[in-house]
Amino acid sequence: MIDVGSFFILGILLFSIGIVGMISRRNIFVMYMSVELMLNAVNIILVALSHHYEDLNGQVMAIMIIAIAAAEASIFLALFVMLFKNARSLDANFFELLKQEKHND
Amino acid sequence: MLSTLLFFILAATSLISASAMIFFKQPINSTLSFIVTLLSIAGLFALLGGSFLFLVQIIIYAGAVVTLILFIIMFLNIKEENLPDEPHKTKWIVFMSLLVSPFAAILISTVNTIKFAPLHLENFGSIKAVGMKLFTKWILPFEMISILLLIALIGVVILAKKETSHD
Repeated sequence: MIDVGSFFILGILLFSIGIVGMISRRNIFVMYMSVELMLNAVNIILVALSHHYEDLNGQVMAIMIIAIAAAEASIFLALFVMLFKNARSLDANFFELLKQEKHND
Repeated sequence: MLSTLLFFILAATSLISASAMIFFKQPINSTLSFIVTLLSIAGLFALLGGSFLFLVQIIIYAGAVVTLILFIIMFLNIKEENLPDEPHKTKWIVFMSLLVSPFAAILISTVNTIKFAPLHLENFGSIKAVGMKLFTKWILPFEMISILLLIALIGVVILAKKETSHD
């Protein structure tokens, strides 16, 4: 039989995969999706705790995290479009090119 | 018994597709395998009694966020030469997994010392109860989330705006 601890272990494993993807890849889309994967792992642990204590506050917290992730997605994707227009590349090492150039006026 | 079987199927699907996500070279393959991860996580939420979270996960994550990512990837028209050159990708991933696994092992052994109750599948986490919680105790964070979304909207418009030159 499974218990709530199995969900904890799954959340820890998914979070570790997210960290590995975040550090070892240089493609910005994969890095962004690794961040989203870490948020989802935390959501699993929050919902499992909410089930363990029979208290709905954990589920409401998970809803808040999903709303924040949606706001984050819009900002990230606007940044990606800016980066791709400037550098024609998805390499995270080009990200310093997004710095605003100095205006001579 | 059925819940055990469902848990193992969903957990294996999410772990395999999450690993595939960080291995794929093309971002569109990563995104499609990330959708599979999100859907299996939605199934895990349903298994834990979060019926509203199950809906929200499918509608917002798999429906809105990942579709937005797919739309941007197709909109950018990424060619082979636009992708970053990662000759030692597999080496990096294996090395980082070796580095992260001790911390995961410590956390898992800590969790294993806690005595958890087995999964109970009675009526818990109905949409009405979640909504009552959201609109009474969590009303202030709920309103602050709306302000956060407005700030994100303004930020995206400013980022996407054409830079007007002064000369």
